Amino acid sequence: MEKKRPQLSLDELHQLKWLLGGGLTLLAVWTVIYMDIDAWELMGVVTVAAIACTLWPTLPARVPPFAHVLAFPLIVAFFAGDLWLTASPLPAMVRLDMLLLLYRSISYRQRRDDLQIIILGLFLIVVAGVLTVSLVFAAQLLVFTAWALAFLLAITLVGTAEGPGVESGKVKNIAPAWAVHADWRRLVRRMREVADWRVLTLGAALFAGVVAVSALLFLAIPRFQLENSLFLERLVTKKAKSGFNDSIKFGDVTDIQQDTSVALSIDVTDRTQLPVSPYWRMLVLDQYENGTFRLSPVLRRVAFGGERTDTIVHGDARPRLGASVVWTFYLESGLSRYLPLLGSFELLRFRETQNFRHGATVGVLALRDEPLTMTAYRVEGFELADARTDPTFSAESRRRERTIQTWLNVSADDHARLDRLVSEITGGAKLSAADFSRRAIAWLRQNHGYSLSPVVPRGAGDPLVRWTASREAGHCELFAGALVLLARDAGFSSRVAIGFRGGTWNGYSNSFTVRNSDAHAWTEVYDPAAGAWLREDALEVPKTAQETETKSEAAIAARSDRSWSARLDSLRIFWYRRIVNFDQRSQIETLREVKNVAQSSSRQLRDAVAETIAGVREWLARPWSLARGAKVAALIAFVAAAIWGTLRHRREIWRMLAKGGVERRDDPVRADASRWLARLRATNIPLEKAETIAVVGELQRLRFGARATWSEPGRTFLRARQALRAERSTRRRINRP
Amino acid sequence: MNARDLNAWSGPGLRGVRRRFTWNGLLWSLVWPQRSHRVLPTTAGLVLIGLAMGIGTAAYNSSSNILFITLSLLLTCLILSGVLSWLNLRGVAWRLRVTPPLRAGQEATVTLELRNGKKFLPTYGLWFELAARPIADARDQRPESTWTGRDLDVRKILAQTDAATQRGQLACRTRLDPGYESRLEWIFKPANRGALRVELASVGSLFPFGFLKKSIGTELRADVVVWPAPVEYRRHAVATARRPAGGEHVTRAGSGGDLLALRRYESGDSHRLIHWKASARTRTLLVRQFSAESAEGFSLWLRMDAEVWTKPEQFELLVSFCATLAEDLFRAGRLMSVALDDAPPLPVRRVGDLEAFLDQLAVVRPAKGNSSLASPSPRAIAKQNVMTFAPDGARGVAAYVDGKKAATA
Repeated sequence: MEKKRPQLSLDELHQLKWLLGGGLTLLAVWTVIYMDIDAWELMGVVTVAAIACTLWPTLPARVPPFAHVLAFPLIVAFFAGDLWLTASPLPAMVRLDMLLLLYRSISYRQRRDDLQIIILGLFLIVVAGVLTVSLVFAAQLLVFTAWALAFLLAITLVGTAEGPGVESGKVKNIAPAWAVHADWRRLVRRMREVADWRVLTLGAALFAGVVAVSALLFLAIPRFQLENSLFLERLVTKKAKSGFNDSIKFGDVTDIQQDTSVALSIDVTDRTQLPVSPYWRMLVLDQYENGTFRLSPVLRRVAFGGERTDTIVHGDARPRLGASVVWTFYLESGLSRYLPLLGSFELLRFRETQNFRHGATVGVLALRDEPLTMTAYRVEGFELADARTDPTFSAESRRRERTIQTWLNVSADDHARLDRLVSEITGGAKLSAADFSRRAIAWLRQNHGYSLSPVVPRGAGDPLVRWTASREAGHCELFAGALVLLARDAGFSSRVAIGFRGGTWNGYSNSFTVRNSDAHAWTEVYDPAAGAWLREDALEVPKTAQETETKSEAAIAARSDRSWSARLDSLRIFWYRRIVNFDQRSQIETLREVKNVAQSSSRQLRDAVAETIAGVREWLARPWSLARGAKVAALIAFVAAAIWGTLRHRREIWRMLAKGGVERRDDPVRADASRWLARLRATNIPLEKAETIAVVGELQRLRFGARATWSEPGRTFLRARQALRAERSTRRRINRP
Repeated sequence: MNARDLNAWSGPGLRGVRRRFTWNGLLWSLVWPQRSHRVLPTTAGLVLIGLAMGIGTAAYNSSSNILFITLSLLLTCLILSGVLSWLNLRGVAWRLRVTPPLRAGQEATVTLELRNGKKFLPTYGLWFELAARPIADARDQRPESTWTGRDLDVRKILAQTDAATQRGQLACRTRLDPGYESRLEWIFKPANRGALRVELASVGSLFPFGFLKKSIGTELRADVVVWPAPVEYRRHAVATARRPAGGEHVTRAGSGGDLLALRRYESGDSHRLIHWKASARTRTLLVRQFSAESAEGFSLWLRMDAEVWTKPEQFELLVSFCATLAEDLFRAGRLMSVALDDAPPLPVRRVGDLEAFLDQLAVVRPAKGNSSLASPSPRAIAKQNVMTFAPDGARGVAAYVDGKKAATA
């Protein structure tokens, strides 16, 4: 048997707890040293107060009682004033934290106050770590953890030694016995006597284990971002369900599968800026070969710059006066690595750093990889125009008469067929690019209908030329491709642009939603006179019809989607806006909103108070009569009685109100017990055997009895199962012939 | 009393039931709580879990490794808490001791013995939930309303049972050093006579950091009998027992003339009482024991006809009155025999006989439909100085000796 070691008395445990609490406070407030926050004076005050009160624990008893009454309102007022004056929330919160620590240092603490010290200290440590990311943080966090664990152990031991319901520290202005008799040298001696080197060694080993396991956990915690889906998604091959792709191939059958899932959601600060029919342009396809449109290597090399890694992209749009409209895009995963854009922009900002290539001259922004997660980006200063200036192409086209955009890579027969068609369109006249496009579109719409399942006529030669020469119906890609071939045959540079057109306004989330079914292809024809690419859409709503539409609120309301799917989409937008995309800017916006609400509410409150005072004055100024006086006296008496009754019976009222929450009917154990009772009842087990009676009794106790009187639920259910089986087997035996 | 249960040690440190150590088993026991083990987070634990979740969310939201480090440390602290709690309870065993006799209305002591069987680690901060509940007769546990009864009825029955259950909490406030034992005492007062089950409902601990409240359900219990409470009664002078001429010898040790038995010599015995012949024969010093000469002996005959004792409180008074008389008469050396209903009379010669009678009295109930009890049996009538009982008014009970009122309660 071990030699009996002495034990710390309750007073000594209290002293140890007080010492550890003071030390933890100092550890926490000293983080200000390497935080760039203006709280040095406060740190000095807290340090002095914490050291003094820790070493002389009778000092808190000298704090006057009214200080404890006023402490909380004063601290809150200080924080509010601090926040108001400095308008920087984090330093204000740090100072608030330090004030709370100061108050906890200069008053006797109960258990919950001790726990508060740990929470407040952890906040300071974490803030310091996040702000500074220094190596000191790691050391401080380790020391803090060890100290906090020792503190928690002391709190538990004191709680155990005191027993339930007994807690010191409730009376703030009388020094407890342990504080009066505090002698730190004696405590150190006693600690030495009490300590067992083996237990200390085990404690040290366990703490080393804590550090090791923490390191392992740190390494093992999966590093996926909240907006990302799980890693399993990487194992799934994604299929693009929309008709959108980064190349267009024309065959005999070019069906497009309709997919109404959300492809893109857009938040816009000024929704009146939304075009009537927005074109979300993603990519241009300039090379046509073997019935396929694709981005040519030449254009890829010339137009796109080198790959960059950044969060900001500067566009070629010129800055305009006034606050620019901000567009926030949420591009769904698996769609494309080319980002949808409305046109040239001033500034594009990603939520996190991205690898990308920007083709400013062609107006295309390409990420290195197709994102597997939702990609959010914010664009400022879109230039919303139907024509897109391209000075580079203009100079190039002047130097070289033929560019790849004018190259018609078809056979001589197809060429001749296209020549005939162009002659039919132009009537032999020399037209400008815009006029030719208008006539060609009219010709195409006259000869072809619209269908999502078109059929390209069989035969020799290029399939797109065959379709253009036929009268078959087609979809956007066929119309766009045909217009490109006709324009090139007429001598105009042209290319296919792909992306999305249109969308709906979600009335619940106040955002614009573009679906995969909105995928679209159109033509861009170069106008040498204007030095710009003209957007020509053979399937566009006629300009005359567009002009009747306005960009007003009424037009947006007409396009508004208030279906159930829109409700679900609004949840998704909420998640993106408030959780996933919650960055510093969102935080500032939220704070600004809070500030605005606070200001407006305080103004309303002031007005309401002034109005009430005026009303009371006016009421008092009215002539008084006996009846009026009696009514007022009765009202005052009633209010006084109500207040008196509430104060006198406040505990009973509280108990009555709190009682409702104690008994929970949806307790799973009670539900299970109820089920077992029902099963036994359904079997009609005779209540004769002692075991059955006991099981039923225990089940009823689990179902209806107080929780403290429960037997082990699992064992009781097992016994009920056994009783049921025994009864069934007995019945089978009896019924057997 | 269930001696086997009382003497048995229980708990994680119980020797002889340890399974072979395997790392797999150890890990599994740390991850998956054993049967009857409950772990609930305390307020501090909930705060810690909430804090960990908040920091975790912030870490994922901001991809800040500082927050990931903090999250790792918080989670590890939770693990450490579980490991230390397991170490604290490891090797600890406990058992219950109930010291008889237990008497209704009088304080009884239940002793809980603790043992720390660990090598060098002490144990801190254990508490023990104890309960003493009456063991209802199986007949009482079969109410007609078991299946058909409404919730309210069952709740009422359970509330009555709960009201009869006494609960207590014992806490080990000091450190229990390795290899040491400790005793905790729970003092309670049984309210009624009858069979009583004293059980250790659970053992709990908040050690080490107060995050988790761990409790272990135990099946340690002891069934004991609570004797009837003593009552005040009044004797009547008229009821002086008949003294037969010449005295009557009773089979109890005393100072009469008849040899009752031989026993071993004890220090202080008179040398004149030594039986030399028997001592020589057995080579052990034996002394003569004579029978007591009693002329005032009584026989108690308790009849419990349900038709006569219709009021439960009056029946309880009867049982307590009978028990009190039996003890008083035995103490005065005047109790000859006892009989319950139509059972044969049992002679009361030693303390054990009286205790057996009190044990019987502790659990008696009114007998239904026994018409033969309506009148005393001829054999009992023939016997003199027989004390019987009858209701005395609406609430009282009277004791009669040979038909004459001897005492009332």
